[in-house]
Amino acid sequence: MPTPNLDAFQVIADPSRREILGMLTKDTYNIKALAENFDMSRPAVSKHIKILQTAGFITIQEIGRERHCILNQEGFNELKNWISHFDEFWSRKLQKLDNVLNDKNKT
Amino acid sequence: MKTEIKHQWFYNQTPGEIWEYLTKAELIEKWLMPNDFEPILGHEFKFTTNPIPNMGLDGNFHCKVIEIIPLKKLVYSWKGGSGGEITLDTIVEWTLVPKENGTELTLLHSGFKEENGSIFTAMFDGWDKNIKKMLEHLNTDDNANTKS
Repeated sequence: MPTPNLDAFQVIADPSRREILGMLTKDTYNIKALAENFDMSRPAVSKHIKILQTAGFITIQEIGRERHCILNQEGFNELKNWISHFDEFWSRKLQKLDNVLNDKNKT
Repeated sequence: MKTEIKHQWFYNQTPGEIWEYLTKAELIEKWLMPNDFEPILGHEFKFTTNPIPNMGLDGNFHCKVIEIIPLKKLVYSWKGGSGGEITLDTIVEWTLVPKENGTELTLLHSGFKEENGSIFTAMFDGWDKNIKKMLEHLNTDDNANTKS
């Protein structure tokens, strides 16, 4: 099954995936244990996990024979990037407004 | 975690002058972006700028006037994304307060997925804890292996 290439927001827009992330904030789970908490098939849960993994929200560690899901910090850097981008954007624009207003007064 | 942006600036001009630069398309363009803004409640307009592909933004911001109180407050939605798909759904709020020698302008850019913001916060909080747990798991596993 091909994994769609989703951005961070599309990834967390899905309630099941948010729930998986929510569970992983409290504990690490192996895929089987995660799947038991959802009213959907193991392959469906695996697909969500794959999407989360591809987007960098979680990593999968093999411990013995089990595959454990743990949170990964990379995924939410995108949200932080947006906020810092617009933070800086508005700073520049408000400064520009100041310049424009002052120039106007000169003429 | 931070889910909104706030900037407060003081300008030497009157609220009336600042208001013009917030509500007249050709004046907005001078400091912000090309746009087709009109100071009418419910008016839908667009800001256009260069695309930022690595942030999934195609350079078009789709906006709608949500609140407008002349000389005092202006609120519009601020949506962005790429190829018609909206991934950034936020609100921009301008507030003007007259001061002795000018105007205090406050910008509040909010709505960076507050719903998801809480999960992000939880994830940040859970992060350290999970790393420790992971290490514990690994250690336990190592011990188990050496024993066997």
